[in-house]
Amino acid sequence: MKDIRLLVVDDEENIRILFKEELEDEGYIVDVAASGEEAIEKIKENHFDLIILDIKMPGMDGITVLNKIKNMNKEQPVILCSAYGEFRQDFSSWVSDAYVVKSADLHELKETIKNLLHL
Amino acid sequence: MKSIDLLGKVIEISHSNLEITSRIKSIVNIIAKELECEEVTLYTLDRDKRLTCRFKNNKSILFGILNQYRCHIGEGVIGSVAQRRAPQFYSKHDIPPRFGCLFYPELDGILERYKTFAFLPVSDDSYIYGVLVLGSSTIETLHEDEKIILSILSREIGGIFRSYDLILSSTKRISELVTLTELGKILSSNVEPYDLLKNIALIVARAMNAAFVSIRIEKSVLALETERFTYGTMDPAVERYIAPLEEKCVHLKKSISLEDYAEKVVEDKFSGFFMYVSPIISKNRILGTLLMGGEKSQPGMANEEDAAYLIDTIARYLSTGLETTLLNIRLRDVLRELGDAQKRLVEQEKFRSLGEMTASIAHEIKNPLAIIGGFTKRLANKANKDGVEWRYIDIIVKEVSRLETILNELLNYVKDVPIANDMCMINECIDEVIYLFAPDAAWENIHFVREYDTTLPPTRCDVQQIKQVFINILMNSFEAMAGKGTITIKTGQTYYREKPYVTISITDTGGGIEPAIIDNIFNPFFTTKERGTGLGLAISNKIVMNHGGHIEVNNNVGKGVTFVVYLPIKNNIM
Ligand SMILES: Nc1ncnc2c1ncn2[C@@H]1O[C@H](COP(=O)(O)OP(=O)(O)OP(=O)(O)O)[C@@H](O)[C@H]1O
Ligand SMILES: [Mg+2]
Repeated sequence: MKDIRLLVVDDEENIRILFKEELEDEGYIVDVAASGEEAIEKIKENHFDLIILDIKMPGMDGITVLNKIKNMNKEQPVILCSAYGEFRQDFSSWVSDAYVVKSADLHELKETIKNLLHL
Repeated sequence: MKSIDLLGKVIEISHSNLEITSRIKSIVNIIAKELECEEVTLYTLDRDKRLTCRFKNNKSILFGILNQYRCHIGEGVIGSVAQRRAPQFYSKHDIPPRFGCLFYPELDGILERYKTFAFLPVSDDSYIYGVLVLGSSTIETLHEDEKIILSILSREIGGIFRSYDLILSSTKRISELVTLTELGKILSSNVEPYDLLKNIALIVARAMNAAFVSIRIEKSVLALETERFTYGTMDPAVERYIAPLEEKCVHLKKSISLEDYAEKVVEDKFSGFFMYVSPIISKNRILGTLLMGGEKSQPGMANEEDAAYLIDTIARYLSTGLETTLLNIRLRDVLRELGDAQKRLVEQEKFRSLGEMTASIAHEIKNPLAIIGGFTKRLANKANKDGVEWRYIDIIVKEVSRLETILNELLNYVKDVPIANDMCMINECIDEVIYLFAPDAAWENIHFVREYDTTLPPTRCDVQQIKQVFINILMNSFEAMAGKGTITIKTGQTYYREKPYVTISITDTGGGIEPAIIDNIFNPFFTTKERGTGLGLAISNKIVMNHGGHIEVNNNVGKGVTFVVYLPIKNNIM
């Protein structure tokens, strides 16, 4: 399997650590960003196969980040991952490629990543 | 010269501050003295248009006889003077005058003593007040200048009566106004129904010095507990006539008195009583009745004619004010109920906020929980599956997942906002949306053409959301036409895949959509506008789909676009 690069965007440090370690165990190369602004910087400079985006963040929120990413590159796959299931109903989340409710069980997230990357 | 003196004295008295009867008495005596007449009497005209001998000089003998009989206008010499308003003079050679209407047997033998009689009308230019009578046993005939003086004097007396009448009627008018003002104050105040009726009854009683006033309000006017308020007590002998009298009044829709109601009964037994009732009518509807009564002889009580007039006036006044007042009272009750309802709403709102707080707490817990659970799982991978650590870790993982389930259920419960489920008249709904834009000057060059299907059935939907759809589509048309053009809105009914739908088609003259982008217009964030968000159609589409309908686009490049909204008539999606 060739190197697959993921970006985890979340304001909560422990979530970043958890996701990074779990996904690295899956064999991905994982980068993290603590805010929407940082994420945009990183995306401009690097290529990511997939971005995992939290919605509720101080400063630039996930929906705005999503909007910017899709404007930069319509094809960029993005997973919205939030503790809030309600955003799923929000039409503005529709442009994301998937929506996963945050949980201690990362099984659903991992499956979604595999599906989107056609693994 | 004597005559001129007399005239001066009479004028002086007539302009004095003396009470009217004293003034008349003095004048009568002065005339008797100055003209050497033993008899000077004055008949006055009563309300019933009959003449009564009421005033006399001190020495008068005839008065005792004359004042026992009353005569009609036109009857006898008195009546004819009053009718023709021309004086009559008799000298000893003339036939003795016939007083009044009857033959006065008591005058037999007395009249022969007099040599001269003079009868003068007491009047002003328009009204007759009475007749002045002079009799003398010494004077053979009256001189012409004395006759002239007498005419002037009788006119002067007429003037006294006239100004007295004026004062009397204006006093009456003033007291009537005072009464009405008081009533007005009561009617415009916010008193309880019971106090309202009580006050009205009191004011009326006071205004007329009546022994008994009863005001009754029809039950149907308002659901009042108090139907009647009575002031004073009515003699038990006539009390039982109150209810039937009121009933008759309501039935006839006009004022009636006890006499009108039961002439005979009143004649024999209750002639001493007076009772009068007026309907309170507003817009041809009887609101109630106002009744007044008492003994005719009660001192100070308004006379029957005045009382009837005043009761009628007050009843008329009440009818205009009462309905409003009673409505106001009811309005106040409704307002109070509304206030209570609002308080309850505030309570509910508190619960709602509690729900929201619960939701936000639950959310706060979810992240740490995911972290705890996530790392515990990582621990589990590293632990020895046979060791006690693994068992403990397994317990933690299971408990975390249980907590997550609980939180998700809680959040679902809290977020369960009911979707409005209205029965909507689509045509009206569109009109309301158009009226939103109509006052806006920017829309003045937009011409609306409406072709409604008036047989459209009510449609089950969330009106606010559906209005939002129309607003979004209309806004797009407005923007495409740059504020100038025609928007045609048609409603109708159709079948789509064998199911009935209401259709709303909105056509503009904005040049249509470029074919290259038409597939994108429903995508969120897709916009060709500098300041667009690209959400208008995305939201509209989602709303209509939630209603079990869909939106169709008919693009006519170069001309305009037609958006057709389909809403199912039997909506089983929501
Ligand atoms: N009546 C119309 N005529 C021409 N083009 C239209 C019409 N309605 C929509 N469009 C096109 O579809 C696009 C998307 O419309 P939509 O209402 O979703 O977003 P918007 O109007 O651009 O922005 P927003 O409604 O959020 O302010 C518009 O930018 C416009 O290019
Ligand atoms: Mg729009």
